[in-house]
Amino acid sequence: MKLSFTLNHNALTLETEPDRRVIDLLREDLGLTGTKEACGEGECGACTIRVNKELRLACLMIAAQIEGCSIETIEGLAGPDQALHPVQEAFVQAGAVQCGFCTPGMVMAVTDLLEAIPDPDETQIRKALSGNLCRCTGYQKIMDAAQLAAKKENKCLP
Amino acid sequence: MPAVILPQTLDELLDLKAQGHTILAGGTDLFVHMRNKKIQPQTLVCLDQLKDKGLREVADTGDEICIGAAVTHSRLIQNPLVQQHFPVLIQALDTLGSPQIRNMGTLGGNIMTASPAGDSLPPLYVLDAQVELAGKNGSRRMSLSRFITGPGATGLNPEEILYRIWIPKQPSYDLHHFEKVGHRKSLSIAILSMAALIGLTGDRKIRAVRLAWGSLGKTIATSPETEKRLMGTPMDDPAGFILAAARIREEVSPISDVRAGADYRRQVAGNLVLRLCQGPLEPLKQGPGAV
Amino acid sequence: MNLISKTSPSVGASQARPDALNKVMGHEKFAADYYGPRHLWAGVRRAGIPHGRLISVSTEAAKQVPGVKKILTHKDVNGSNRQGVIQKDQPVLVDDRIRHCGDALALVIAETSQALETALALISFEYEALPGIFTTAEAFQYGAPLIHPTHPGGNCLLSGQLVSGKGLEAFEACDAIVELTIDLPRQEHAYLETECGEAVYEKGELSIVVSTQTPFRDRAETAQAIGISPEKLRIIAPYCGGGFGGKDGITVQSLLGLAAMACPDVPIKMMWSREESFLAGPKRHAASLHYRLGAKQNGVFHALEVRADFDTGPYDHLGGAVLGLALEHAGGPYRIPHAAIQGKAVYTNNTIGGAFRGFGVPQVAAAMEQAVDLMAEKLSLSPLDIRMKNAVQKGDKIPSGTTLKTSTGIRECLARLKAHPLYREADAWKKKAPAHMLRGSGMACALHGMGYGPFVPDTAIAKLELTKQGRFKIYFGVVDMGQGNGVTFLQMAGDLLNQNYENLELVLPDTGLTLPCGSASASRSTYTFGNALIQAVETMKTRLTQRAADSLMVGDGDEFCFIPGHLRHLPTGREFPLAQLAALLGPEERITISRYRALASKETVTQDTALQMHGIPHTVFSYTAHLAHVEIDTLTGGITVCNYTAVTDCGRLINPDLYQQQMQGGIAQGLGYALYEDFITDKGRLLTANLSTYIIPGALDIPPMALSSVDLQENTGPFGMKGVGEICIDPVLPAVANAVADACGGGRCRQWPLTCERMLEILTIPVCPPGADMNRSLI
Repeated sequence: MKLSFTLNHNALTLETEPDRRVIDLLREDLGLTGTKEACGEGECGACTIRVNKELRLACLMIAAQIEGCSIETIEGLAGPDQALHPVQEAFVQAGAVQCGFCTPGMVMAVTDLLEAIPDPDETQIRKALSGNLCRCTGYQKIMDAAQLAAKKENKCLP
Repeated sequence: MPAVILPQTLDELLDLKAQGHTILAGGTDLFVHMRNKKIQPQTLVCLDQLKDKGLREVADTGDEICIGAAVTHSRLIQNPLVQQHFPVLIQALDTLGSPQIRNMGTLGGNIMTASPAGDSLPPLYVLDAQVELAGKNGSRRMSLSRFITGPGATGLNPEEILYRIWIPKQPSYDLHHFEKVGHRKSLSIAILSMAALIGLTGDRKIRAVRLAWGSLGKTIATSPETEKRLMGTPMDDPAGFILAAARIREEVSPISDVRAGADYRRQVAGNLVLRLCQGPLEPLKQGPGAV
Repeated sequence: MNLISKTSPSVGASQARPDALNKVMGHEKFAADYYGPRHLWAGVRRAGIPHGRLISVSTEAAKQVPGVKKILTHKDVNGSNRQGVIQKDQPVLVDDRIRHCGDALALVIAETSQALETALALISFEYEALPGIFTTAEAFQYGAPLIHPTHPGGNCLLSGQLVSGKGLEAFEACDAIVELTIDLPRQEHAYLETECGEAVYEKGELSIVVSTQTPFRDRAETAQAIGISPEKLRIIAPYCGGGFGGKDGITVQSLLGLAAMACPDVPIKMMWSREESFLAGPKRHAASLHYRLGAKQNGVFHALEVRADFDTGPYDHLGGAVLGLALEHAGGPYRIPHAAIQGKAVYTNNTIGGAFRGFGVPQVAAAMEQAVDLMAEKLSLSPLDIRMKNAVQKGDKIPSGTTLKTSTGIRECLARLKAHPLYREADAWKKKAPAHMLRGSGMACALHGMGYGPFVPDTAIAKLELTKQGRFKIYFGVVDMGQGNGVTFLQMAGDLLNQNYENLELVLPDTGLTLPCGSASASRSTYTFGNALIQAVETMKTRLTQRAADSLMVGDGDEFCFIPGHLRHLPTGREFPLAQLAALLGPEERITISRYRALASKETVTQDTALQMHGIPHTVFSYTAHLAHVEIDTLTGGITVCNYTAVTDCGRLINPDLYQQQMQGGIAQGLGYALYEDFITDKGRLLTANLSTYIIPGALDIPPMALSSVDLQENTGPFGMKGVGEICIDPVLPAVANAVADACGGGRCRQWPLTCERMLEILTIPVCPPGADMNRSLI
C-alpha cells in the first residue's frame, strides 16, 4: 500500500505492505534503529514510540494503522543540530543509562509523562515507567532522571 | 501474511464482518495471538480509518452510559462520565497492562478476548453492563454475563460486531472497590481479581452488594449466595465477611496454571472479601483457613 | 553535545559515560542494529524434545520455500562442530544426540524473515527418543541414561569437596546447631537485547559483529567449531545490550559463521526471538542446598556442613566453574574453623546452566545467610551482632580455606549498616504496619572473589595510542555490556594524562583492533584492564615527556607536565602541542602496549586437581552487607520490599555513579530472584517461555535503594578499586528471606522464589510451613 504519515515532524509517503509491523518499517526500511525490539509482544516497552502524541508499542502495530498519523521516535526528540531534549540530557546527567537497550523507550515514556504532568511525584513516575522493563538499572536512576528533567523543563535549573 | 482492509464506514465494516474477516481493534491481544500462531487470519479489518462516532465515544443517555467498543482504556480512565459513575471500572483499568497497552487496547477488545483474567470484566459484571451487538440487520443487546460463555468464547454471531457497551448508572452503591493479585504491580495478568460494589445504610450496614471475581473460573465468577451473606452486615464487623469468604471458597473450583494453584485462588477469593471489612481482622489469628 | 566532551575526567568523580549520549538519542549501534545491504536472515530449527538420538533431518520441503538460500545441517560443518567454554561438549548443529529442547538441528538462510520462519516450520527430523533426566536426583538413579556417555563422571559434570579443620567431627563440640534446606530456581538473564549478530564472509575472511561478553574467546571457540583459521575470523563487539553472564560463551557466533561461509559476500543477520533466547540461552543454575551450622554458646561459629547440588543442564558451559566458586564462597564472610563443603554439578536434559551475575555465590549465600539468622535466633543474638562477632578480618581464612590477604571490609560494612536509619528505626517502622500487613526487617552479607582464580591466567592487554592529531585512543578488549567500564578507562587515562574527554577516545573490543583482555565477567573488567591501562599510560607518559625533552633539548622528561592537548615545560612555561609531538613519532612509537596478569593465589586449599582447575582460590574479595524492609499482605501473600539499603567494600570508587548503578541493578535482579523469577520447565519444556510468564520486576516493584561504600583502599586495584558487578546480587535473596521470617514469626520458604502463593501457604499453616520444619534449630 501507499502509506503517508508524519515521521518525526517530516511528512513521508512510501510503499509498504499494509501488514508490515511498524517496528520493522522503522528499523529495517527507514533505518531508525533507535526503537528496539526485545519481546515482540508488548511486554517490555523497548519499542515505545508516540503515535499522535500517545505512547504506543511499535511491535504491536502494523503499517496500515499509522496512515495519516504523526509518529515520533527517539530519533525525533533531539532538536536542530542534535541538541538534546531535556529528558535526554537528564538521562545522561543522572546516570540513567547502562546497557542502553531500554533507554529509547524509557526516554519516550518520560517525555510523554512530563508533557502530561510537568511536576510528577515518585508514584506517578514509577507508574509512567511501568510499561518499560529495564534489566540493568533497578529503575532508580531513571526515576532520578525523570525528576531532573522535570526540574529542567520547569526551568528550576539553568 | 494477511491482507489488510481499512473500512471507512460502519456499513463497510459490517459487510466485511459478514464475510468472516477478523477485526483488529487495539491489537494488544490479536497480534500476540498471531505471533504465537494461535490464530492466523487471512484478512485483518483495521478500524483506524473508520469514521463512526458510536464506536469511539462515551455518551450519557440518561439512565445509562454508552461506551463505544473501540474506546481505549486510557480514554476511559480520563473520561469524566466514567470517573463519576464507575470508579470500580477506573480502578480496574488502571491495573490493566501498562500505559502503552492502555493507550492501544480497547474495552471492546478486552471483552471480545473474553479471558477470565480480563481486567475490565469483573467491574463490568458487577455494574450489570450490557453489550450491543450490531449486524447488517440491526442490533441487539444482551447482558455481558450472558454474552461471555467461556474462555475466549462469546455469543457473538459471525456476522456481528461488538458495537457498544451500555452500563446503568449506579446511584445505590456507596463503595466501589477493585483488587487485582498479580506477580508484579504492572504488566501483570491477574492471578485473581475481585470487583465489589457496596451500598450502605445510614449506620453503615450493607444493604446492597455485588461481587465478581476474575481468574477464578472459566468465566468471571459471581456468587449471589456470598452476596446474601453480606447483607445487613456492619462494615466494621468481621463475622459476616468471614462467612461470606467461606461461602465463595466453597462454591468455586478454580484452575491451576503456571501463575498459581487452585488452592491459592480459592483461598484468596475469600480473602479478598475480607479486605472489604473495615473492622479489625486479626490477620493471622482469623487466618485465611478460618471460617 | 558538550555535556561530556569539555569536562576533564578524574578518578573518583561521578562522570557520565560517553556512550550515554548516543544511547539517549537512539544512535548507538548495537549488534541488533546492524542491517547490512541486501542482508539475509539466518535462523535455527531447534529440537523441541529434551533427549533423543538424532536419526535424520529432512530439509527438502523447507528448501522449496521461495527466498530460502541455504539449509545446513551437521553434515555441512567442516570444523569440530563442538563448542563450550571449558569442555567442548556442545554441538553447533546436532550430529548424534539431542540433549535439550533448545539444541539446534538445522540452520536456514533466507532472503526475508518470513521465508525463514516458513522454512523453519517445514523442517522435520527423525529421532529415537531417550528417557530424560530432569532433576539432579534422577541423574544418579540406577539405570539412568547417560547424557554424555563418554564423560568419565557419568552424569556428574564435576563434584568437589573442601574440608577444613576437623570437618564434620567438629559438630560434636557445638552448643547449638541449625539446619536448613532450600531449593533455588533457574534464573533467566532477560537482557533486553536478545542474542544476535551479523556476519559476512568475504575473500576468505569471516567477520562477525555480535552481542557478546567474550570476543577473544569467541574467536578461538568459533574458529575450531566451524573450521576456519582464527586469523581469518574477526569478532567485533559493539556496546552490548545487557549480558549478566548470559553472553559469556557462544550464542549465535558459530551459527552465523556457518551461514556466512555458506553464503559468501552477503551480510547475514541472526536475531533470536525472546522465546528462542529463553529456550537456548544459559540460565543461573537451579540448586539444592543443605546447610548445617554449628556454634558455641557465645555465638562464635564453630562448624559448617554444606551440600550443594547444581543442575547444570546438558552441557558443561561454565557449570564446573560455577560450582567451584560456589564451594569457595559457601561459608560466607565468616571465620568458621571447621568445615566440610561438598557439591556437585549435574548433567540434566533441562536448559543449559551457565554464568549469571554472581556465578554460584547467590545460591550459597541464600542458604548461608539464612542459617546465620537461624543461629542468631537460637542463641538470642541480634542478626547484626552474630555477624559482627564472626566476620572475617584480613589474615583470616574463610571456611573453604582461602586466606584473605587483601583488603577485607565486611566489619566496616556491618558497622556502617548498624548506624543506618533503616536499621536503627526498623522496629518503629514495623510497628506501624497497616491493616492485614506484617512488616519485617532482615539482613544478609556476602563476599565475592574477583577474577578467574589461579588456573586460567587472568590477563588483559591494554593498548594506548597517541594519534597524529594529538589525541589518545584507548583500545580495550573487555566488553562494556552496560557496566560502564569504558568510562572508567577514560577516567583513569584522562586523570593520569590530564586530558579532557575531547582528547580521549575509546576503541571498542574488536579482535581486529584491540588486544586480548579476557571476558567481561567475574567482576574483573575494570580491575584487570584498568591495571593494564595504567601501565600503558605510564609508559606513554615517560616516552612522550622524554621525546619532548629531546626535541626541546632540555634536561629530561621530569620537567614536563601534561595539560589538555599539550605538554608544558615547567621551568620555561613553554607548551608543546601533543599533535606536534605526535608528528615527530612514527606510528609504532605512538603506541604503548601493556599486559597485566592479576595476582594468582599460591595457596592450596584442596588436593583435588579438578577443583583447582575451576578457579579456587581467589585473592581479592569484595564485601557487602544488605538490609531489606518487607511488608507482607496476609490476605494475598503478596510481598512488597519497601526499603533497601546496602553498604559495600569494593575498594575506592572510580566513579560513584557507576557503583550505584551496579548495586541498584544487582539488587533489582536479586529481588526478582527472590520474589518472582521462576524459570519453570516440565520435562525439559518451558512453561515460562516468554516475558509475560517469566516475571522480572518493573518500576513499581523496586523500592528506593540507599547505597554506600566504605571506601577502603585495595592496594592491588587500579586507583584502589575492587569489582562490584556481582557482589551486589549475592545477598539479596537471603536479606528478603530473613526479613520475611522476621515479619511472620520465623516462617521460611523451602522452594524459591517466594511467590505470593508460597507466602500465603507459610502464613496459613501455623508455626511452620511444610518442609520448613527442616529449617529450624535442631538442638
